[in-house]
Amino acid sequence: MSKPKKSLSRRNFLKSTAVASTAATLPTIIPASALGLNGSVAPSERIVLGGIGIGNRGTYDLGCFLQQPDVQFVAVCDIKQKRRTAVKKMADQKYGNNNCEMYRDFRDLLDRDDIDAVLIATGPNWHSTAAMTAAKAGKDMYCEKPVTKNIKESLILADTMERTARVFQAGTQRRNLPHFAFACELARTGKLGKLKRVYAHPAGMRSTMSSWLPPEQQPDREVVDWDMYLGPAAWRPYNKRLLDGFNFEKGGGFVGAFGGGGVLEWGSHCVDLCQWAVGDCPPPIEYNPPENGELVARYDNGTELVFREKGWIPLGSCPVRFEGENGWVEAGDSGRLALSSPALLEGREVDEIGGYPATFHVRDFLDCVKTRRKPKGNADAACNAHIACHAANIALALDRQVNFDNQTHSFVDDEAANRMRSESLREPWRL
Amino acid sequence: MHNRASRLLRIFIGCLSLALWIPVSTIAQNSSASADIEKEKLAILNSDASRAEKAIACKHLAIHGSNQSVPSLAKLLPDPQLSSWARIALEVIPGKEADAALVAAIPNVDTPMLVGVINSIGIRQNAAAVEVLTDQLENQDQDAAAAAAVALGKIGNSPALKALRPVLKVDSNRLRSAAAEGCILIAEKMLAAGESNEAIEIYDEVRNSSLPMQRTIEATRGAILARQSEGLPLLLEQLRSEDPKRFQLAMGLIREYQGNEIDAALAKEVTQTNAARAALIIQAMSDRPSTVLVGSLLEAVKDNRKPVQLSAIEALGRVGDSECLDNLMELAISSDTELSSASKRALAALPGAAVNQKILSLIPKSEGENYQLLIELVGQRRLQATPLLLEATRNPSAAIRQAALIALGETVSPEDLGELVNLTINPQATADAEKAQQALRAAAIRMPDQNACATQLSGAMRASRGETKGKILEILAEVGGPTALLTIGRAANSDDPQLQDIGSRLLGKWNSLDAAPVLLDLAKNGPARKYQIRALRGYTGIARKFNMPPKERAAMCREAFDTATRPEEQKLVLSVLQIHPHLETLNLAVEALKVPKIKMEALQAVLNIASKLDLKIPLQKIISDAGIEPVKLEIINAKYGAGSSVVDVTEILRKHVGDLPLITLPSEQYNVAFNGDPAPGAPKQLQVTFRIDGESGETSFNENEPIILFVPQK
Repeated sequence: MSKPKKSLSRRNFLKSTAVASTAATLPTIIPASALGLNGSVAPSERIVLGGIGIGNRGTYDLGCFLQQPDVQFVAVCDIKQKRRTAVKKMADQKYGNNNCEMYRDFRDLLDRDDIDAVLIATGPNWHSTAAMTAAKAGKDMYCEKPVTKNIKESLILADTMERTARVFQAGTQRRNLPHFAFACELARTGKLGKLKRVYAHPAGMRSTMSSWLPPEQQPDREVVDWDMYLGPAAWRPYNKRLLDGFNFEKGGGFVGAFGGGGVLEWGSHCVDLCQWAVGDCPPPIEYNPPENGELVARYDNGTELVFREKGWIPLGSCPVRFEGENGWVEAGDSGRLALSSPALLEGREVDEIGGYPATFHVRDFLDCVKTRRKPKGNADAACNAHIACHAANIALALDRQVNFDNQTHSFVDDEAANRMRSESLREPWRL
Repeated sequence: MHNRASRLLRIFIGCLSLALWIPVSTIAQNSSASADIEKEKLAILNSDASRAEKAIACKHLAIHGSNQSVPSLAKLLPDPQLSSWARIALEVIPGKEADAALVAAIPNVDTPMLVGVINSIGIRQNAAAVEVLTDQLENQDQDAAAAAAVALGKIGNSPALKALRPVLKVDSNRLRSAAAEGCILIAEKMLAAGESNEAIEIYDEVRNSSLPMQRTIEATRGAILARQSEGLPLLLEQLRSEDPKRFQLAMGLIREYQGNEIDAALAKEVTQTNAARAALIIQAMSDRPSTVLVGSLLEAVKDNRKPVQLSAIEALGRVGDSECLDNLMELAISSDTELSSASKRALAALPGAAVNQKILSLIPKSEGENYQLLIELVGQRRLQATPLLLEATRNPSAAIRQAALIALGETVSPEDLGELVNLTINPQATADAEKAQQALRAAAIRMPDQNACATQLSGAMRASRGETKGKILEILAEVGGPTALLTIGRAANSDDPQLQDIGSRLLGKWNSLDAAPVLLDLAKNGPARKYQIRALRGYTGIARKFNMPPKERAAMCREAFDTATRPEEQKLVLSVLQIHPHLETLNLAVEALKVPKIKMEALQAVLNIASKLDLKIPLQKIISDAGIEPVKLEIINAKYGAGSSVVDVTEILRKHVGDLPLITLPSEQYNVAFNGDPAPGAPKQLQVTFRIDGESGETSFNENEPIILFVPQK
């Protein structure tokens, strides 16, 4: 593979990430009244939304969108007829009409000029390809995580969002939860002293590879469009077990050049928070294979990013911990924080919102669609966090240290690792 | 390692129905091993191996393949099923051989494989392929022609640009759009190389072509940024456009624009555009913190359009300075509630040490609403001003006193905590008591020395009276630590019924392991039965929620079980055992079978734990030992699923009814036993209506739980 070339977008990348980081410390959810959102919103003023791949997670996300007064959901695309019909029913019930249109091919949905933004909640196999296709069609998007399948996709995603001037929000909703935001702020603003270590919880570090199950009778295309389901993934015969997103996406070698596993599945959340804690700087430059349940990576300033399986304070799923010279903080999905000293609160009341709701993240996205500000889970931030996960996965797969150069976006003197930075897409898809 | 990999892979391929993926810990660590793997995988490609084996071999060759692999991989390019697998390797194998193989494949593959091959050429940025890709621009297949246009853009050299420019004028919308995409990629590359004039020329050519709006937006963005400071007129043109897409583009670019001449221009736009757009432009202005003209935001605060005012106030909260204080304070105490609350938020956030100094300097000479506002700001901005706040706690106005108490809670230092304690024990007025307690709580939980704070609060509790005692006890619980635990333990065992009640309640919710002995002691020796029960439940809760070695947990559960005098608490222990399946907890569950009042729950626990541990247990013996009598069980109705996606499984359950109050299905997986998953991905339940010995009952089970039907209580 040729080395990715520097471009205008990439050169601006560090700068724009820094801007995003600064903005992220500021209150981005501006008063509704400042955006003309008081009370009900006239249909002509609403953000017109379409949904792509709306299964379980997507239905939850869509529920968060439908709560917002300035959203009008008008179309759903899914390769499964059952899902199309279920989502249409949900939308039509909400609006008391029969207007939600159904599509099997998301390109038909994207062709609609009236749609401003899309919710992409397909399996991870499709996320980045669908997101970039949507961006090129002029749509803003909220895209579920993990967003990319490999390092190169991560870089191209960030460049594409910048080039197309689209608003992109990764489904990293913890960035808009107060206790996680506060923990990251403590780390980022030096309240913990010089940062020594940031810990992420990958919940299952393993690297996996592609699968090919025995062929089964393929359903009618209207019922399940297998070709669209495979999309950019290399071809394999229909097997209904692969229609289960978990089997297909999370282990079958479709995510990451050599599998996603827990590093990517959870890392896209908890490594993303670690990245926020270190100021959304470029990802670590050194990655080591796991020892005693810890995969240690190092940023160029010496701070360690530790993928840790055990040893957590019980604060719920997706815990993160940030350790500085003067203190530490830990946060998890229970909504609670643990601190080395209560003085770190500095008299602040931090809302404890458990259960990782996406409502605030969705609101942040919609505000940014209007203001054109970068959302908290913007493409640059997502790109860096995903690169960290992919590089860790490569160290895991190679079972040795790998060193990443953030200028050239390549591994140093390491052809095997460099070949794993990308994976070709099945025809006709491209990034 | 390598042999193990091959073996694993063979096993995997041979057992496709058993495994969906395999772990990858098998990648060769040196070139000799890599060459061996390449040889092995090539042998697969060149054999009559199954397509599955060939596909996975391609994946390995992406890591281990060399020029040697290229011919075999290239042979797969026309194959609709294996073409994409072959390109996984061909796209990353370095060298001219792979480049040449992809180019050579073009005349020999049909669409859509042709599109894939062209895409891969683009990814590899093979400059030698420009000519052949240029030919493809005329391919009647629009997919192939468009792919060629984008691939040329990725190659990005002069011949590629020369080939693309005429395509911006062809009839096909699709091809024009793809050519524009390619041209924009080339312009970006030129700009990065310092060739800004050439880049501008391309951007302008694209944005003046007839294209879908999104391509025009991309080209316009490039044209503005490439022009640097000279791009401002073009940016403002977009900002004034009636087209919302162009307005959006300008809004985004305001944040990216490098020169500071834009800030004054934006301030002018605010006054000339409609309210909705002006409010949005103000937001963009404030996202340029190093050059924003704060004065223009202050002007916007005075605008007669409410959305503009509110947006400006919010923006000032982020980028304003001490000069904004007076204006915001005036609005904060105005009668317009929207402007007032927005201004208060902005005042709390307004950045800078100068703002803090000004606030502190204004306090001594302020009065009334201004005085109260400043006191509130001290708390919100966490300024050190204890003497000023203590003085305010003696003010005749209750509102000011209470604001001062709240501010003290936010700011008081450990050294001055005693002052707040005193105000809590002896409030200035009865009406202040609640605020003082609230403030003390806020202060106490952020004190750096947990035990010192708890000691101080313990003293305060002893010195206080009535309800205040209880309130301080509650604050102690939030502070936590050994001293707090000791104090609350003593309170729970005291002879004061109020303290017994509050103390036992707080202990019951205690969130650390060290509370276990205190709770157990209270459970055994507490002053009243109801507090003993409460403590026992708290103790059991600790066994449930904290990480500890299985033996330790089992010992705690046994203590709890032995101390429990009622079935309710015994059942609670059984629930803990099921959450933490282990041989130790299984033993206790089996012993619980001997307690007649909970034998069915114990049986359920035994089955659940055994199932989670994947243990085969002598069910009949257990049932017999437990003295579970035969019953006449009838299934009236059974449904399985989630929400509206449920299936009737009555007949299936009926088939497996015996003479015991439990049903053993042929598979432990409900989805298998009930012939499918009625609601994929959703948490499902089995709901059963039944009769046991003529008594009706109804119950539900989570997916895959053992089905034990309790004899209905008469």
